[in-house]
Amino acid sequence: MGSAALAQIEPSALAAPPAPALLEIVDRDGLVRQSWRIDRWPVTIGRALDNTIVLSDPHVAAHHATIDLVAAGDAAPARVVVAAGETRNGVVVGRRDRVAGGAAREIVDDGRGVELQIGRAQLRLRLPSDALAAEQPMSAVADTDHRWPPTLGFAVAVLLFVLASVWIDTDPEALVRSAGTVLLSTIAGGAIWCGLWALLSKTFTRQSHFGWHVRVFVVASLVLLALSVVPPLFAFAFSWPWLTDFSFVAVYATAAAAIYFHLLAVEPSRRRLMRGVAATGFVVGVALSLWFNVQRTGRLGEELYMNHLFPPQLRLAKPKSVDRFIDGLAPMQAILDKQAKEHGNGEGDDARGDDDE
Amino acid sequence: MKAIGPSSLGAAFVGIAPTLAARLAGALIASAIVCIVVPAAAAPRPEPAPPPAPSEAQGPASPASAVAVPTAPVSLSARKIYEQARSQLVQIRTVLKGRASQTSVGSGFFVTPQGHILTNFHVVSEAALKPEQHDLVYVTADGREAPLTILQLDVLHDLALLRAGDAAPSAASGAGKRFDALAFRPANEPLAQGERIYSLGNPLDVGFAVTQGTYNGLVKRSFYPQIFFGGALSAGMSGGPALDEEGHVVGVNVARRIDGEQVSFLVPGEFASALLARGKDAAPLVGSAYPIVDEQLLKHQATLTDRFIAQGWKEATHPRYRVPVPPDVFMRCWGTSTVSQTGGLDFERSDCVMDTRIFVGDFTTGTISLRHESYDGTKLGALRFASRYAASFRNESFVRLSSQHQTKPRCEEDYIDRDGLPLRAVVCMRAYKKLPQLYDVAVLVATLDQSQTGVQGRFDAQGVSFANAQRLARHYLDAYRWVAPH
Repeated sequence: MGSAALAQIEPSALAAPPAPALLEIVDRDGLVRQSWRIDRWPVTIGRALDNTIVLSDPHVAAHHATIDLVAAGDAAPARVVVAAGETRNGVVVGRRDRVAGGAAREIVDDGRGVELQIGRAQLRLRLPSDALAAEQPMSAVADTDHRWPPTLGFAVAVLLFVLASVWIDTDPEALVRSAGTVLLSTIAGGAIWCGLWALLSKTFTRQSHFGWHVRVFVVASLVLLALSVVPPLFAFAFSWPWLTDFSFVAVYATAAAAIYFHLLAVEPSRRRLMRGVAATGFVVGVALSLWFNVQRTGRLGEELYMNHLFPPQLRLAKPKSVDRFIDGLAPMQAILDKQAKEHGNGEGDDARGDDDE
Repeated sequence: MKAIGPSSLGAAFVGIAPTLAARLAGALIASAIVCIVVPAAAAPRPEPAPPPAPSEAQGPASPASAVAVPTAPVSLSARKIYEQARSQLVQIRTVLKGRASQTSVGSGFFVTPQGHILTNFHVVSEAALKPEQHDLVYVTADGREAPLTILQLDVLHDLALLRAGDAAPSAASGAGKRFDALAFRPANEPLAQGERIYSLGNPLDVGFAVTQGTYNGLVKRSFYPQIFFGGALSAGMSGGPALDEEGHVVGVNVARRIDGEQVSFLVPGEFASALLARGKDAAPLVGSAYPIVDEQLLKHQATLTDRFIAQGWKEATHPRYRVPVPPDVFMRCWGTSTVSQTGGLDFERSDCVMDTRIFVGDFTTGTISLRHESYDGTKLGALRFASRYAASFRNESFVRLSSQHQTKPRCEEDYIDRDGLPLRAVVCMRAYKKLPQLYDVAVLVATLDQSQTGVQGRFDAQGVSFANAQRLARHYLDAYRWVAPH
């Protein structure tokens, strides 16, 4: 970033180090809404009309701030002095460094420009010494919007899956009608779901990202449908009741992931926050379910007993003898006796127990 | 835990068969109790047991009022019966402590000149089980009112022996007050079917009444003997006496069927006189009666389990399997067959229940029920059949009483091998909170050898010991097998 470049851009240098720079107003998504080319220093910012940059924001003082570029050697990074004028709100430098009215702060440019908040405006000062970051690929969100074939493939898989489950659950003579109903309501439900997300995206990003939302929806649906079959199948085959007892955790995880990816198309610049939202939702959902299960059944799991039956050929677990099974019931007695005592101790205080309930 | 209706029955029906359900509801509601008026008093029941030797069939000192007609019995009219029994008849009220309002009313009668009164357990159950909230008083036909104490209970036969509070020897005279008392009909003079009997009591708190009906022998398939009285009983008459034409006690009013007309039940007098003999000199009950109830239920479940296991199973209950169905000794089985109208699953269903249930205040217990459904999905194919078969297996409830009375269910499950026949078996149990060492057990079974047909069964026993729950579950599971070897 040598002086040669500067000289090119600035034909009539007046003040000390002629330094063409760019001051931009950035919106919440990081897009530039307005920019000023800075040819001379210092730059004054305020509501009064005699400022270099006039911000007609009631939260900005008449002469709110002055920004000056400090001459620097070729090698040294540029330095900027931000001086707050007679302002009660001051200037926020970077994320949280607040320069009070009357104070000044010298900032060493880290090569990524200087961010300032003055009144409600988010400003970015780009200096010639800033390094230019490499071009970023478009986000997956924007990318997917135009790549429909895989999405359609997934959607067809979902519909086939839904049709298969309708075929299984419906008696032969009622099949056609209910297949139509279910198919229509699946499509309509999916469209409404994706439509609402697209509306949110549009509101926040001015793009609907409908393609992305459809993709997220069909993939998540596919996973959820698989979760409705695979854990029960394994639970049946191997006599693993715990698998379906806790398969709701996987369902919640899938739902949380789906929400996260939907949110990415709503607040693309806040991945971290959105990840936090989804993770929190997942943790809270699982915790609530566990708590509810304990309240309802006294157990963490969801199913009192494994109640998924498949064609007998799929059973792989070996059956036990009746004697072994019945003898295995013995430990239940202590558990039940303990539960019975926890509340309204068998004899004695039964009447009080009655009152309580 | 989900609260469920007051006396929901152990067996949860797979909700597919409305007709059957209706029929069963009838069968199950069966002897809805005669007794008490109060809000939802649950239905007490008949009783058990081989007739205990009639210890002394004659109530002590039958007062002059028992106009024993010498030889050639001349029938007394209902009016005379009433006149003669009027002074021995009482209404029994359960009253909220500290508040004058009554929570339930029933009837009772004096059986000794010392002031012993007999009634049903269900008439005094609130006072017996929650003594800190309830008092008992009796009111005679002429309006005299006095407190009552409980001496002895026979929960299995639904009887209670009380004593008039004003009967205690007074400090002044040393001798207690004398009461008119009814005498029992001697055990060696059995009634003949069709003989006229008179039932007395205070129906619905309207006033003392006498109703006449006929003796129809003992109730068939009752676990404990009970007299089938062909007459009308109403709520409030529970605990009142049923008298023969000589004015002797033949039974105690206890219950009626609400789905029939004049189908009523009496506890045979022999159990009442046995209770009197046993408890005449007992000290008044102190505190809650739950320990006594528990002890008697433990005896009941031992008898029930032994008799149930000893009776074995019916043969030929299914073409392919031996499905456990009990013989018609003290249980009754109803069946239905349902053919799908939409080319779906066809099934047959059988429900076996006992009429006998032991009333324990807020709930009933001490009963066994079985059910099975035999499914045919050959019109559906393996996958569709499996889905319906699983739905039926899933559609079972293991919650019966509120969490105040029972723990939440715990289950054990596995695949069971019955001489090569694979079964999925689930055993769920609940413990009673106020009746230590008693449990409800439910066994759920699904056959898993055919891909388009199958049988699912459920066995329920209420109020059994843990060891007997295991015995019964084993007995039930062992019953499943192939009819012909494979």
